[in-house]
Amino acid sequence: MANETRIMESPWDLTTYSWKVEADALNLFVKGLKDKKILGRKCTKCGTVYVPGTSYCRKCLIDIDQVVEVRPEGTLDAFTVNVSDIRGNPVEHPFITCTVKFDGSESLVMGTLEGWQDWHDVREGMRIKVVFKDVTTGALADLAYFQLI
Amino acid sequence: MKRNVAIISVGYNGRFVSKRPDVNIPELIEPAVTNALGKTKLKPDDIQAYVVGNMHTFEGVNGPHLWASDHFNGSGKPVMRVATGGTTGASVFQAAYYHVASGMYDVVMAIGWEKQDEGDSQVGLVGIVLPEAFTLFQFGPEMNTERGGVGGLGGGGSTGGASYQAMSYLSRAHAGIEHIDRIAALMRSNAAKNPYAHLQQPGCTEADIAKTPIITYPLRFGHTCPTSCGAVAMILVSESKAKKFGLTDRVAWVKGLGSGTSDPTTGNFVEGQITDPAEQHMCKVVAKKVYTMAGIKDPTKEIQVAEVYSGFSHQDLMWPERLGLVKEGKSPEMLDKGAFAIGGEMPINPSGGVTSTNAIGASAMVRVSEAALQVMGLAEGGHQIPMKVENAVAHGWGGLFQFVTVTLVGRTPVKS
Ligand SMILES: [Zn+2]
Repeated sequence: MANETRIMESPWDLTTYSWKVEADALNLFVKGLKDKKILGRKCTKCGTVYVPGTSYCRKCLIDIDQVVEVRPEGTLDAFTVNVSDIRGNPVEHPFITCTVKFDGSESLVMGTLEGWQDWHDVREGMRIKVVFKDVTTGALADLAYFQLI
Repeated sequence: MKRNVAIISVGYNGRFVSKRPDVNIPELIEPAVTNALGKTKLKPDDIQAYVVGNMHTFEGVNGPHLWASDHFNGSGKPVMRVATGGTTGASVFQAAYYHVASGMYDVVMAIGWEKQDEGDSQVGLVGIVLPEAFTLFQFGPEMNTERGGVGGLGGGGSTGGASYQAMSYLSRAHAGIEHIDRIAALMRSNAAKNPYAHLQQPGCTEADIAKTPIITYPLRFGHTCPTSCGAVAMILVSESKAKKFGLTDRVAWVKGLGSGTSDPTTGNFVEGQITDPAEQHMCKVVAKKVYTMAGIKDPTKEIQVAEVYSGFSHQDLMWPERLGLVKEGKSPEMLDKGAFAIGGEMPINPSGGVTSTNAIGASAMVRVSEAALQVMGLAEGGHQIPMKVENAVAHGWGGLFQFVTVTLVGRTPVKS
């Protein structure tokens, strides 16, 4: 055991760096949101619909470019009841964030769930519809929340 | 043609704890190495190669293996570092296995550790999700809200991410938060019988856990793992060397192993997440492959004990089902009838599991070392299960909810 061990202190600031990501899916998605539409892509080989629409099929591993519009309705998948905000501060009223699957699509989209009185009554498989903001700008925030039907 | 491989020794550095300001990383590792060697007649020079690992960047010192190598006598020998997130320890073990099974080496040491009182684990985690998060931010999610927003910006950090899986599991198993409280209490009371475990709470009850605050429903503070400092070392040898050393009695044979990955689940907005986080299909696929490799036909009867990797307590219910040890959706029932306890018919984590002790880079290897100790009959302090252990299964989990490793160890080697 080394008694002379010292505790070193140093900051860990992230510098600015750049990297490439596949932005295709989100570009298409926010473009649709501006027109209050839910857009995705369909694999012509296996028929899987992705929302947001990836540029490739996760199952067939081929490029896909067929754009499809799905109805702004779907089913509730996993969800959690939040008692704090993203910074960890307690919130006055619990809120639900969830993943939903739009009808005819296979991918899960995350967002906020509204339209419930008591969160104990919320169940997976419940039906939801999209509520858009009144004024849309072509951003993810255009999709205001999912409303229980 | 692969060769049979035996685990002949397991060493821990001591009890896993939150803070070890008295030592640096090499000093934390060294007692584990010395303890593993001390239980054999091997000398440091008998180890031909090392495979080591910890979480990338969590200590703020990237590449600690570079300067820790000579402290475990690695200088002049092959040293390979493996880092695969939560599964790191299991990947380290499996890589060490391949070193021996391939015929390249006869005696190999695997070491896994984490020293989480150094660095900043949250910075490490942020580094992992940063590319995804910043991509999302460029597409204008709702930021100024106390009610989440598209992209699911809720609170709770990694617990927030895991809570979706927890809720989905409860829904699938028709269970409630009380089941998570109950399994969490079992783990903490099991930990009290393991002298190396971090959070030891003798006789911990469901009510004790239920008193802890909710982080994001259905997960509470009492359902989450601690951040621990600790190290584990294991020695793996070929069948011929085991015979030569006269070591065929108290050893654990590696009978089957495998790993797999699905798409990143929970919040994979950029690439179109298609998998519910509680599905864990790959765990079923890998387990099946491992059991076939080990010649096991009915895991519910032929496996006596399991060590599963659960950063959050609902997973201690979920993994036994996905590993085929319990029928789908039946874990809550098995728990309620006492089957998962140390003296039960299918003990889960006699060690107390990851929710009691989590030195991340060691955790998935500790699942294997604990399974091996159960087979050897050497688990200390009252956490050895009363049943004779013919086979034990060890499981690792990590990545963005999608990496899985399964290792099966047993009393008798598979005939090659
Ligand atoms: Zn396809």
